[in-house]
Amino acid sequence: MKKILLIIKREYLTRVRKKTFIISTILFPLLYLGLIFGMAYLGDKGKARLNVAVIDMSGYFDKGKLERENQRDSSSILTLVNMSADSLNRSFKEMGYDGFIVIPEQVDWKKGISALSLKADRTLSMGSASQVEAKLNIIWSELKNVNLGLDDEKREILETSKVTVHPTNINDESADSGVASTIGYVAGFLIYFILLIYGSQVMMGVMEEKTNRIAEVIVSSVKPFQLMLGKIIGIGLVALTQFFLWIAFVFIVYNITVASGNAGGMTQMVGSVQETFASINIPLILFCFIFYFLGGFFFYASLYAAIGSAVNEDMREAQSLSFPVTMLVIFSIALMSVAINDPTGPVAVWGSIIPFSSPIVMMARIPFGVPGTVPWWELGLSMALLVGGFIFSVWLSGKIYRTGILMYGKKPSWKEMIKWAFR
Amino acid sequence: MTILELRRLKKYFATQKAVDDISLTIEQGQIFGLLGPNGAGKTTLIRMITGIFYPDEGDIIFDGKKFDPVSDIGRIGYMPEERGLYKKMKIGEQTLYLAQLKGMSRSEAMKKIKEWFIKFDMYSWWNKKVEDLSKGMSQKLQFVTTVLHEPRLVILDEPFSGLDPVNTNLIKDEIYNLARRGSTIIFSTHRMEQVEEICDHIVLVNKGQKILDGTVKNVKQEFKENIFSIGADNVPSDGAAPYDLISTTGHQSIVRMKEGKQPNDVLHYLLNRNVSIHSFNEILPSLNDIFIKLVEGTPASRQFQKVTA
Repeated sequence: MKKILLIIKREYLTRVRKKTFIISTILFPLLYLGLIFGMAYLGDKGKARLNVAVIDMSGYFDKGKLERENQRDSSSILTLVNMSADSLNRSFKEMGYDGFIVIPEQVDWKKGISALSLKADRTLSMGSASQVEAKLNIIWSELKNVNLGLDDEKREILETSKVTVHPTNINDESADSGVASTIGYVAGFLIYFILLIYGSQVMMGVMEEKTNRIAEVIVSSVKPFQLMLGKIIGIGLVALTQFFLWIAFVFIVYNITVASGNAGGMTQMVGSVQETFASINIPLILFCFIFYFLGGFFFYASLYAAIGSAVNEDMREAQSLSFPVTMLVIFSIALMSVAINDPTGPVAVWGSIIPFSSPIVMMARIPFGVPGTVPWWELGLSMALLVGGFIFSVWLSGKIYRTGILMYGKKPSWKEMIKWAFR
Repeated sequence: MTILELRRLKKYFATQKAVDDISLTIEQGQIFGLLGPNGAGKTTLIRMITGIFYPDEGDIIFDGKKFDPVSDIGRIGYMPEERGLYKKMKIGEQTLYLAQLKGMSRSEAMKKIKEWFIKFDMYSWWNKKVEDLSKGMSQKLQFVTTVLHEPRLVILDEPFSGLDPVNTNLIKDEIYNLARRGSTIIFSTHRMEQVEEICDHIVLVNKGQKILDGTVKNVKQEFKENIFSIGADNVPSDGAAPYDLISTTGHQSIVRMKEGKQPNDVLHYLLNRNVSIHSFNEILPSLNDIFIKLVEGTPASRQFQKVTA
């Protein structure tokens, strides 16, 4: 036992003290935020401001109305021109327009105008076309209102009287499905990343011991199983440390923004975050997250350790041998998206009970509410099976590891590795 | 006193009888040579003694009791042939870690490490990493980590590979020191001249079986071929001589004694013929010759075989 502690300590300290750990701990949230904001920014930037010429033969659209709308929304500029369609077709480019719309003469305000074409010399995105469409629609609505004799009061009644349907779970009304699926996605993906990144760290660590030829020195002092377990636990603690640092990071940022009372967007965001957190069961989700994170980590890390012990220096060997295991993790993510769309469906239920996918799939379901969406027995069964599953995979991997770590030479096949395990 | 006794040890792998019924006894304080060609089963044998493998059959008696890997491992120091250290770890820290894994307390380990580092002039290495060391330097470090916990039994597999003569002597002296202080050393190598120089007792293993067991002196006597070297101006060779002349170079002749003849018969014969002798000695076979003689004729490498056990 004391020896395992020594191994854990070494594995943990050598990793936490590395520059790459500190950098990745800081950089990951920044990259994550950068990705989100960057995408939003690029998306915004990507929409070009369209300059569109309008030939109105119907007489419904006049310069004043178009100008007013241009001022209200400047994402596209509509300009009324007085030319024939043919000549505009030839010269719109030189006049500085991106495209043009011809509104035909025969238009009935009761029927609307369908399939107007926004002609341009290149393919415009649906998004930019819909902006133009929205603008014309506003003008068109006003026209209808005037023609129908609707005053502001009637118009408001028309706009506000609607029926909305919202899914509500009678067992657990706080489980808002919008918030729940967001948390589910985040938790599922976080576990996915941690499994892949730290799982391969375990594999690399084992390979390092083999290529440095220190494995035999160490196993003459401790049992191979102790060495493997110490490594897995040590690296698991590193992952946990990183996770807690991120939580602390979020907590600090949150408190600073609250304290400084920053007006504007940030407070709004904080406010909505507060509201969100009030609506879900944080302690339960956090507990389950750590449980499934550790369970899943033990399950996969031990398999990765077994693979690392079986291969030699060659990274390609390791990749080809670990491919099936990595596929299981990726497959779990596919199951997760199904589970979030239908958290009580058969895929979700079975996916969250079978050990190999349960860490990711169950974590995506839990935010929808326990016991509302996930009955206690399902949660209990899933946890028990995961514990059983990782004990089995650690045991199995221990057997493969014991033989593999002292083997040099040819890369074994999966069949041979199974033989080592059950010999 | 017997420190280690192997009784009918067997270990079969899928395609090899790696160790096939080997028994041997090692006395305390001995420097014991474990010899054999590549793939003879030496490493498997050693791995069973160090608790890395369990024997399929047979018993290991260590220090009077049945060998128990968990409790006895701390009293064994093993330097495998495939050896190495964590490249990125600092040397002081790494030595401490390995010592603690052997069951030493931190303070005790620190004290010992300092002693050894001063003795081997390695003190300035403390905060360096293993990747900064040359091969010879890391070999020295490896030796220190093997014997730091003062093991009762030290197993060294090719300990001198990659060492220059100065460092070889340094390690050799330490091996003698360890033996003098009561540690037992198992020494595995292919370098027969080193075995001849260092070992008291040897065992030769081939194809998983023991084919020779004895002290270096006795083994050489056993395999002697009654060959003598005579230093004389002219060594006659006729039918009456009690020897056959093998070769002559300058004033040195090599002869093989005829059946039933004694060295004195040779001297008599030569003196009677007024040959002036300035030297006369027996040539014992080197361990190298014995090794080659015993192992030759068997295929150079082991063949794969189907094991049904």
